[in-house]
Amino acid sequence: MSTTPARTYWHLQAQQRQFSLLIEKRALIVNLLLAALLVFCSLASLAFGTLTIPLSGLMQTLLGNGSGMHDFVVTELRWPRLLAGGLTGAALALAGCLMQTLARNRLATPGIIGIDNAATAFAVASVVGTGISIAPPAMALTGAAIATALAFGLSGATGTRGYRFIIAGLAIGAISGAITQVMLSSVALDDANAAYPWTVGSLNARTDGSVQALAAGLALGYPLALALKRALVTLQLPEPVTISLGIHPGRVRLAGLVLSILLTGLAVAVAGPIGLVALLAPEMARTLSRPGTVPLTAAALTGAILMVISDLAGRLILAPLEIPVGIVTALAGSPYLLWILLRKSSDINQ
Amino acid sequence: MKSTPYYWPAWILLGLVGLTSLLFGAGTLELRQAFAVLAGQGTEEARFIVLELRLPRLAIGLVTGLALGVAGALLQTLTRNPLAEPGLLGVSAGSAFAVSLAILAGASTATLTTLVSQAGALAGCGLVILATRIQGVGQDPVRLVLAGATLSALLMSLTSLIMLIDQRAADEIRFWITGSIAGKNWEQLTTTLPTLVISGFIVIAVAKPLASLALGERVARGLGHRPGLVQLGVVIAVALLTGSATALAGPLMFVGLVVPFVARALGGADIRKTLWLCLPLGPAMIIAADTLSRLLVAPSEMPLGVITALLGAPVLLVIIRTRRIPTL
Amino acid sequence: MRILQTDFSFRHLLGSLAFMVAMTASLAHADTREIATAYGPVSINGTPERVVTLYEGALDAAIATGVKPVGAVITRGGTGVAEYIQEKAGNVEIVGAPGEINIEAVVGQNPDLILASSRLTEEQYALLSRIAPTIVPDFPTLSPETWKKETRLFSLALGREEAGTNIIDTVEERTLEVAALVEKHLGDTSTNTAVIRWMPQGPVVMSEDLFSSGLLAATGFEVNAADIVKEGRPHSHPLSQENLGMIDHPWIFLATLNADGDEALAAARKSHAFQRLQANRNDRIITVNGQLWSSASGPLAALQILDDIADAMKSRSSATQ
Repeated sequence: MSTTPARTYWHLQAQQRQFSLLIEKRALIVNLLLAALLVFCSLASLAFGTLTIPLSGLMQTLLGNGSGMHDFVVTELRWPRLLAGGLTGAALALAGCLMQTLARNRLATPGIIGIDNAATAFAVASVVGTGISIAPPAMALTGAAIATALAFGLSGATGTRGYRFIIAGLAIGAISGAITQVMLSSVALDDANAAYPWTVGSLNARTDGSVQALAAGLALGYPLALALKRALVTLQLPEPVTISLGIHPGRVRLAGLVLSILLTGLAVAVAGPIGLVALLAPEMARTLSRPGTVPLTAAALTGAILMVISDLAGRLILAPLEIPVGIVTALAGSPYLLWILLRKSSDINQ
Repeated sequence: MKSTPYYWPAWILLGLVGLTSLLFGAGTLELRQAFAVLAGQGTEEARFIVLELRLPRLAIGLVTGLALGVAGALLQTLTRNPLAEPGLLGVSAGSAFAVSLAILAGASTATLTTLVSQAGALAGCGLVILATRIQGVGQDPVRLVLAGATLSALLMSLTSLIMLIDQRAADEIRFWITGSIAGKNWEQLTTTLPTLVISGFIVIAVAKPLASLALGERVARGLGHRPGLVQLGVVIAVALLTGSATALAGPLMFVGLVVPFVARALGGADIRKTLWLCLPLGPAMIIAADTLSRLLVAPSEMPLGVITALLGAPVLLVIIRTRRIPTL
Repeated sequence: MRILQTDFSFRHLLGSLAFMVAMTASLAHADTREIATAYGPVSINGTPERVVTLYEGALDAAIATGVKPVGAVITRGGTGVAEYIQEKAGNVEIVGAPGEINIEAVVGQNPDLILASSRLTEEQYALLSRIAPTIVPDFPTLSPETWKKETRLFSLALGREEAGTNIIDTVEERTLEVAALVEKHLGDTSTNTAVIRWMPQGPVVMSEDLFSSGLLAATGFEVNAADIVKEGRPHSHPLSQENLGMIDHPWIFLATLNADGDEALAAARKSHAFQRLQANRNDRIITVNGQLWSSASGPLAALQILDDIADAMKSRSSATQ
């Protein structure tokens, strides 16, 4: 009688180990497949554009002995853009995945709760020359942090269910959008044109500095997010269970939130508000992964793929003119979001 | 049903706001001169500014505010959702998208008919009602609002795409989409009057059944009302009102949210009291916002939509702070 | 015989020396030239044949000096190059919009010279200058004299300095002609004017420093944007209808983006505020093409704008007399 609990416990642990091994295996396969898809999309993005580079030419350039023109287009024009797009998508998807998990709500992503818009408003303030000379990444981070603090602060504690939090975010997003409009309407037409990418999300207005800051942020944030993963998984359990496992839900949420703000702010500084990627990528990653997991890596890969494909589409559809990538993701993503929202018996709370 | 202590003060408030809007503007016109015009005197230029520029704006603000306030109150009662607002739910965006399409097809905002805008609003309204019919969405206010916000985002990106493809259209749409009631004249106001009168009659007809519908469909049936017909009437009224307002002022967010919210806070949950209070409060909000839009960046003007968003979004925050959302 | 031969070889030597001197001189003069740009000196060899212009003023200057660019950007408010130059530009390839240059499309044109605007960013310059020598002017953007400096710079880069000087002279002569015409027809009306666009909300006033405003000033008008267009807002600024008095000048140039200026004028005339403008009452509203008047620059644009002014003077003075 006294040995039974110990046996069960041992047994359960063994099952769990087996179980977790299974997860690892599936996650590994999914991630490998996604990585392969990302490589494929990246190659397509490098090959196609206003100019089409044949596969042989692309291969020679990648191997280091291509012709001058191909080399220039691939390495100087498309590669930096591909990098910026991929990093932005990965960062937004990671941020979305973290926030969804810690708010226990599938809709709680940076775009929906207004963080994007706030970060954009701050970045625009430094672009249109309101006398603020802080670099856009720093400004965008400040905006993202303020918006998140407001959304959480105004909707109660971090632990509350998503409702108030999301509506608060909606309001903050609307205010930020209005402020961006005011700033754009009170500057010169030419400057307003320069700031236009910021209002729709584009990879054209990026600076090298902001891409480097994003790369550094991801290099720091991704391992940290992985380190948080186990704790995040337990957040999905009822709170007493989480606490009994020796995890402080408050601290985990705070850490996840800080990471999420960091990644969103840095991504917005590169490309402006591209909100739906943060919602769609984790969503897709979840359907590929086993239920109950927090598919950080799969979400990041999916986010990168989405951005790369959307950017390619934006460059091709109206060539030689370009559709900003934010418009492409919004057009492609919002029907999917509507479907999530209106699907029968769907539960937005995880 | 007007028996709330706030009813007449609300009209007095509207009167004061209206007077202020006649007296202050972006121009260099002196206050004394504006007063002189109201007393039936004043220079020719002062008379022009007060009577031909500010007075039509006042009238259009009156109509727009009335339409949006009433449309918001109706939609909220129908969906039993205090967040259901024509702007948030995508009705205004539907209207704006239809107008953008019309501009792309060659129409100019100056000669635009109200009809296009109302057709767009009707389509948006229909989508909202369809969405509430889906199991689970009608009961979940946040999901409905998010679906509306998503629909708005979708339509707005389509509008952005139009602006990208056709630069001439972009120029016209850009000025219109931020919302403004400047530069409109009596003519444009009169084109919307017939539909406003029609929706007025619908509102009078559905107000009572709608109040009993708020108690549940079974109660409404028991009282001899036909819920389906009432709902249809409300949808048409909301579409006509929002369409007219959007045609006059561009897509304005939050007016339909703030006005009924304040009205309910003052007069209680009964839809008839709310509607009576919306009559003075809606115009008061628009006219106050318009006056602010003239004063803040004189000698230019600020888009009206920006001001209503800045005034309205904090109210949304207040609502979620003070209320449990899913009840109405 | 010897002497003759010596004489001959001496002559020959002299001749070839002279030829060589001339050659070197011409090489230094026309074949390799150093051009001062915003991003440092750029040297150009020979006569460029595949020119890409990333700025409306550069397209104008190139065509005016007899070079047909292979690539150009769209005009603001249009989907191709500006209407006034469409015919002369022929089937030039579009390589993006002024704010969004599609560098891939530039590469695709395989240019040997790129002419850009002074707004080109350093990042873009770094890429473009690797495709072909890229000329970025370093003159103040909004100054009436800028187009002349730019035209000289671009024509030097194109190896057509003389054509550049000639076309500038032509414009200056034409300016004097039109100025005389303006003086004659303006009569005793004040010379105050403004260039505006009319939106349903009210007027948008164009800067006094705009290219077209500069030409109006050169022909004797006093362009008065009434300090509405402030510093740091260089292009244009909306004005409340209540302040219409600030631009109630005897002459108003109404820039329209519609193909038909009369239609835009009819739409504006529906506004009671517009009806009050003295220029409207006296039939001195002159509708002009917005692409040309608010965003073009360069010698051909100048000639077209001057023609517009001259036409307006001729038609209006007969109407008012």
